[in-house]
Amino acid sequence: MARIQLEKVTKKFGNVTALNGIDLDVKDKEFFILFGPAGAGKTTMLNNIAGIQIPEEGVVKIGGEVVNQIDPAHRNTAMVFENYALYPHMNVYDNIASPLRSPLYKKDEETIKKAVDRVAKMMKIDYLLERLPSQLSNGQKQRVALGRALVREPNVFLMDEPLAHLDAKLRNAMRTELKEIQVNFETTSIYVTHDFMEAMSLGDRIAIVDHGEIVQIGTGDAIYYMPCNEFVAQLMGDPEINLIPGTLKKKENKYFFTLDEGVAEYQLPAEEDLFKKLEDSESEKVDLGLRPQHVKYSFEPMEGFLKCTVYSYESIGNKSVIIAQYKNLQIRMIAPNGVTLKLDQDIYVNFLLEHSLFFRAETKEYISRYNEAGILALEKEQEG
Amino acid sequence: MNKSKGRLSAILQNGLLVIYAIFALFPLVWMVILTFKADSQMFTTTFIFTPTLDNYNEVLFKSDYVKYFIDSIIVAGGAVIVSILAGVPAAYALARYDFKKKEDIAFQILSFKFAPEILVVLPLFMIYQKLGIYDTYFGLIWVYQLISMPLLIWVVRGYFEDISVEIEHAAQVDGYSWWQIFFKMLLPLIKPGLVAAALLAFIFAWNSFTFPLMLSGTSVQPITVAATKYLASDSVHYGQMAVAATVSALPAVIFALCIQKHLVRGLSFGAVKG
Repeated sequence: MARIQLEKVTKKFGNVTALNGIDLDVKDKEFFILFGPAGAGKTTMLNNIAGIQIPEEGVVKIGGEVVNQIDPAHRNTAMVFENYALYPHMNVYDNIASPLRSPLYKKDEETIKKAVDRVAKMMKIDYLLERLPSQLSNGQKQRVALGRALVREPNVFLMDEPLAHLDAKLRNAMRTELKEIQVNFETTSIYVTHDFMEAMSLGDRIAIVDHGEIVQIGTGDAIYYMPCNEFVAQLMGDPEINLIPGTLKKKENKYFFTLDEGVAEYQLPAEEDLFKKLEDSESEKVDLGLRPQHVKYSFEPMEGFLKCTVYSYESIGNKSVIIAQYKNLQIRMIAPNGVTLKLDQDIYVNFLLEHSLFFRAETKEYISRYNEAGILALEKEQEG
Repeated sequence: MNKSKGRLSAILQNGLLVIYAIFALFPLVWMVILTFKADSQMFTTTFIFTPTLDNYNEVLFKSDYVKYFIDSIIVAGGAVIVSILAGVPAAYALARYDFKKKEDIAFQILSFKFAPEILVVLPLFMIYQKLGIYDTYFGLIWVYQLISMPLLIWVVRGYFEDISVEIEHAAQVDGYSWWQIFFKMLLPLIKPGLVAAALLAFIFAWNSFTFPLMLSGTSVQPITVAATKYLASDSVHYGQMAVAATVSALPAVIFALCIQKHLVRGLSFGAVKG
């Protein structure tokens, strides 16, 4: 039960800066997600909170108390490691019981048995208690590792991609379960993932991490709808957002967007707030961001549709993804299943511009989007 | 047909193994036979003779053999204990920490085993005389580190490297202190390697001849050197020598049998990285 704060935390490994002046404030009982590509510094952040690594600069606070000088054992954190870090010479029962047997958090054997049985049931590993870690599958190991963390009542749960090695079905089930566990435990949790679905569905708030820096913090929806730059926009969402480079032109009171790659010109639907922001930004060259579900297609030529060729088509179960190519530009879109098409055949594409986001072409930073006010209102409501 | 072929190759294999076993074991058997022969029958009989326990009596009860035996246990055992106490932390440091010239230091430790003993023993003799540790337990235990320490460090280092560092981190987070982690988590994991390396180090130290020959005198005398006493200038008591050799081979044989299971696996397991 604790608030976790990082203030200007910098961690270096030799010449490599793993964390660069991280400021983070995780509220008590919050489920907080660290989301970013591999090597961004997410795990390093967890290690610094757990005390496994000590930052060169900055302060780590748990429950308002500076813990830089406190060793990991006394910080009362529970951590799930990405490679499980189970004790190979102990069976599953002893592994899960190990935190309760340590001198610091010692409980009597009866309490331990009850606690282990409880988490074993929760993790559905109660039939594995006698086995050694080497006799477990990866998914089972991961659940044991989770169990070892959940058996305690720590200040904070630190989870480093705890679902990464589970099969898809189990992962979905565990995701729901984790959320429920967290609500029941009422414990602050910090959760590292590189899976966009996990980040969106689990987290109260998400921090996007890249190159040892926090790029954006906000609720899942806020980040999804208003990413602060193109990198975040690409990270959030699957299939990836389309970024269409082009030029903005203002004629009288209307805005027009011209594709860089060609002659197509679109008139932007009028929205006062957006037009004002576009005007203030004074940028001509912009990237237009458009989620794949906001791209329409047709196999027949239609008025205002752009003629492209089919670059690839893949079915992903309940829907499929078409990538169309227009000169050097690739446009992803979502189609229902069972579309029959050939590669390189013609396809006609149109954009639902009233859903588009605008980024500066030079800095890749977010300018504005349609219905920004509505999204801000939603975010306020979510943060409550 | 396959069956008969399989049987044939089984017979062939076992036959070869039997031949090898005879080849390897015969000297030992011969040595044991010698211990029961009287000097007079030494050269006149082969397998049929009047067995006698005189040699045992002579060596074990009428000479200082037991003292030499204990000396050997003290110096070889002491050497292994010192090697474990100093070598395990050294191996841990070499496996876990990054420091300047790490690999050079590791190689340096290994290189102690490169030089032939006879080459370094003379200067060591002078140094020992000057330091006043010639012919002491301390001196021999010290010089035996050249034999036992490199072996132990290199085997145990491999074991530590095989243990992922996250296991230590996990134990830290679980609330264990470093010493508790070492004894509860790390020691059980390096045990096979440690036992195998320690046993081998013990045998090497036990069998060492050159160092104790030059660096010990009359007050401390390991068994290997003491056995030469039975080669008198006028007569050679082969029977007594055989007794001395047989008894001195016993500890190594007994140890090896006890931990046979760990021995081969222990030495190969850490070396092969998964």
